[in-house]
Amino acid sequence: MTLQSQTSDLLPGFDHAAFDSNAVFRALLDAMSRPGRIYDLPVNVAAPDGLNEAATAALLAMADMDTTVWLAPSCATKSACDHLKFHCGCPISTDVKQADFAVARISDDLSFITDLAVGNAEYPDQSATLILMVDEISDRPSMTLSGPGIKDTHSLAIKDLPASFHAWRAENHHLFPCGVDVIFASPTQIAALSRTTRIEVN
Amino acid sequence: MEQTVKNPADGAPDYNFAYLDEQTKRMIRRALLKAVAIPGYQVPFAGREMPMPYGWGTGGVQVTAAVIGPNDTLKVIDQGADDTTNAVSIRQFFAKTAQVATTEKTAEASIIQTRHRIPEKELREDQVLVYQVPIPEPLRFLEPRETETRKMHALEEYGLMHVKLYEDIARHGHIATTYAYPVMVDDRYVMDPSPTPKFDNPKMNDMAALQLFGAGREKRIYALPPYTKVKSLDFEDHPFEVQTWEDECGMCGARDSYLDEVILDDQGNRMFVCSDTDYCAERQDAGHRGPQHHDQPLGTADRGKAAE
Repeated sequence: MTLQSQTSDLLPGFDHAAFDSNAVFRALLDAMSRPGRIYDLPVNVAAPDGLNEAATAALLAMADMDTTVWLAPSCATKSACDHLKFHCGCPISTDVKQADFAVARISDDLSFITDLAVGNAEYPDQSATLILMVDEISDRPSMTLSGPGIKDTHSLAIKDLPASFHAWRAENHHLFPCGVDVIFASPTQIAALSRTTRIEVN
Repeated sequence: MEQTVKNPADGAPDYNFAYLDEQTKRMIRRALLKAVAIPGYQVPFAGREMPMPYGWGTGGVQVTAAVIGPNDTLKVIDQGADDTTNAVSIRQFFAKTAQVATTEKTAEASIIQTRHRIPEKELREDQVLVYQVPIPEPLRFLEPRETETRKMHALEEYGLMHVKLYEDIARHGHIATTYAYPVMVDDRYVMDPSPTPKFDNPKMNDMAALQLFGAGREKRIYALPPYTKVKSLDFEDHPFEVQTWEDECGMCGARDSYLDEVILDDQGNRMFVCSDTDYCAERQDAGHRGPQHHDQPLGTADRGKAAE
């Protein structure tokens, strides 16, 4: 078996590793420091089967051999796993408790989210980040967000966000400073919910 | 092995963009995302050796290196000044390793790395302020053990800090802490604002810009997202107050900025001048004059003379 046959199906990663990962990180940093504000994906990336563009870009920018990635069954295609292993070199676990980054679609069974690591009182940073792939992010006022990073309030709407997500999120917020941070990734946009963000569902 | 000697003016093509390798930047970036998600909490990170000694801003430089992109414009200040050794060398470091634009104007910068001051001009949402931090743990001088200070933060056990401030009052009649004055972030974590004068503490509250803190020797990163509640610790009967001056800036006449005292000779003559050089220069360009400005008529510059 040659390297050619192993890699011929692979999609390319970032065009320019330093600039593109910086641009994606800055979008993530802006999104996490201003929860609910929507940012356009600043680069074009190819997404393997199972992942969308923004989720792929976030993983290419943030994941490496030091981070364990968990993919929901609907995302854990061979091409997605190969793509992440080749470009990020990250371990991919089937144990959601091990995940530094957990990736799922909004249509998936989200019952796994209660198993995500939330950190502990002394090290609340040892928690997972949930990357949730969604079809559409908008600023329609279906949720009203407040908290650090938000001047008065931000409006955010995530298409098809289930009620169970809100129940989990409310519990997650009460765990502060522990908790899971959420990145919503549509094909072209990202928005984030920090664990500090208070959500009012309208 | 062939040795290549390059003209320093050509940048530093043998290094990765912004000096650090990509994996190091990813590690710092992950710490930064956690830091903004937990405002005021100190995130441990695997701080690297930088080509400058500890105490010269290695933490701030690593944060800036992880954040800066090719389209950024960088400003670096040391005690408010753009033209001191530390500021000039860090600015040149990024001009060389990242080929980014640099500026001395607060309004033109997208990233401002600072040692011990916050610019006088109000910062905007599209700006990032990066602090160089020597000792990130506000409780360190009260409790030297990291295992204990971790627990104190976990349990929100900040009584000792209030005792320290109270002892100031008992000894001096007022809270005598003037710099690195501890703040409470979003009603949860007590945070060291780095050795900025307490004059700058109110600017941290509800700031539109993102504030990032890097401590290189201690290997900690922490952050304040924009519009975060930052309250200086105090008591009901001894409310927090900032420094005030009876003098104005000798160059630009400002009465609202943080002033440095400059000793002029050994006869007791002195002047006060804005610590924020860009703020002072901008005011002078706008025609503001202080009593010691060189184009003021001779004989009027008598303020601040102790001999009179």
